[in-house]
Amino acid sequence: MGWLPWSSGEPDKASDGGRIAPDRTSRKRCWEGRDLFFACLDRNDILDAIKDDKEARRKCAKEVEEFEAACSSTWVKYFKEKRVMEYNRDQTIARIQKEDAATVKELKTQGWNSK
Amino acid sequence: MSSSLRIASGLFGQATRTISVESTQSQRFLPILLRNTSRSQCRAYSQRPRCSQNIKSALELRNSFSTSSPCARAKTMGQLKQRNSTGPFSWKAALLFVLTGAGMMIYFRVEKARLERKRIAEMSKGVGKPKVGGPFTLKDLDGKEFTAEDLKGKYSFVYFGFTHCPDICPDELDKMAEIIDKVKEATKDDKVFLPVFITCDPARDSPEVLRAYLKEFHPGIVGLTGTYEQVKNVCRQYRVYFSTPRDVKPGEDYLVDHSIYFYLMDPDNDFVECIGRQDTPESATKVILEHINDWKREGKPLKVE
Repeated sequence: MGWLPWSSGEPDKASDGGRIAPDRTSRKRCWEGRDLFFACLDRNDILDAIKDDKEARRKCAKEVEEFEAACSSTWVKYFKEKRVMEYNRDQTIARIQKEDAATVKELKTQGWNSK
Repeated sequence: MSSSLRIASGLFGQATRTISVESTQSQRFLPILLRNTSRSQCRAYSQRPRCSQNIKSALELRNSFSTSSPCARAKTMGQLKQRNSTGPFSWKAALLFVLTGAGMMIYFRVEKARLERKRIAEMSKGVGKPKVGGPFTLKDLDGKEFTAEDLKGKYSFVYFGFTHCPDICPDELDKMAEIIDKVKEATKDDKVFLPVFITCDPARDSPEVLRAYLKEFHPGIVGLTGTYEQVKNVCRQYRVYFSTPRDVKPGEDYLVDHSIYFYLMDPDNDFVECIGRQDTPESATKVILEHINDWKREGKPLKVE
């Protein structure tokens, strides 16, 4: 499996000592695997695939297997963490926007004008 | 002489009615003489017999303020009427006024934008300014030494990354490729724009790996790598967070945190502006081209080769 350096155990070495990085095709494969896995997590209301690892593996067995086969383990960990981080970020943004809207509404009832 | 001038003034004066017969000669001499000459030309060369006839009749009405000559009247009265009806204003004047105003407004807006860019561009010049970028020594993909001096004379576009980057770097490099093509097109490929990729992960990113990686994005990107210390130094010069582990075991897999900005550096190798995730290829290209064009307009040196 030349295009999957990590899946063969030992990473592929370049002739000058570097280590070959995933190319465009394998990156795309990895991202597709990730998207399918995350879609499955969404269907099953699982957010954190690291914390709820067992649950995720039970409900999305096929997806997680494909995801982990297509991406290196650091990437898998990175994407799982990023999913949680982005969820929290979006929640925070939504909360702030809601609070802002509420404040504006309250001020307007007191006769304040934004103009 | 005096009387003939008076006659002439009655005859040929442009604003006949306003010219006083009693006006002093010194005041009237020159204009009348000039008019006289022109009218005598009219008389001398005119093919129309009416003109001389009228002059004759006007001569009889000596000292009258009549404007009997059709030669003079046609022109004089028309102009007079027009002047009296509109005063100094006419549609031409109005148009000129509006155009000048619009022109000034556009000019001031353009100038304001240019000065704002100049302010940004010169923010990192001079003493006591935050410094992004500085001397470094790395090597290019052919193993040749590449220093900060090699960036001078061109607008360089510096990006830090690593080939094992999961998702952000590939996205940003695709954007970089688009920007390169757009700038190249707009500058008619005059080679003043130098895109540079510096790896933060020299242990894994050897020249060969970098070459294969960058080729997938754009062949024009200059890849740079070096020793751990050299890369650490260049990251410090550019204020890039550097978290690469020093001693990695062979085969160990890891990620590198790094800054995800593009740094636009001017031909003096001074920092100009950051291009970040929020920029589209279009907006980034616009910013870059504006700075390049400002530089060219000011006639500052560029290395074109």
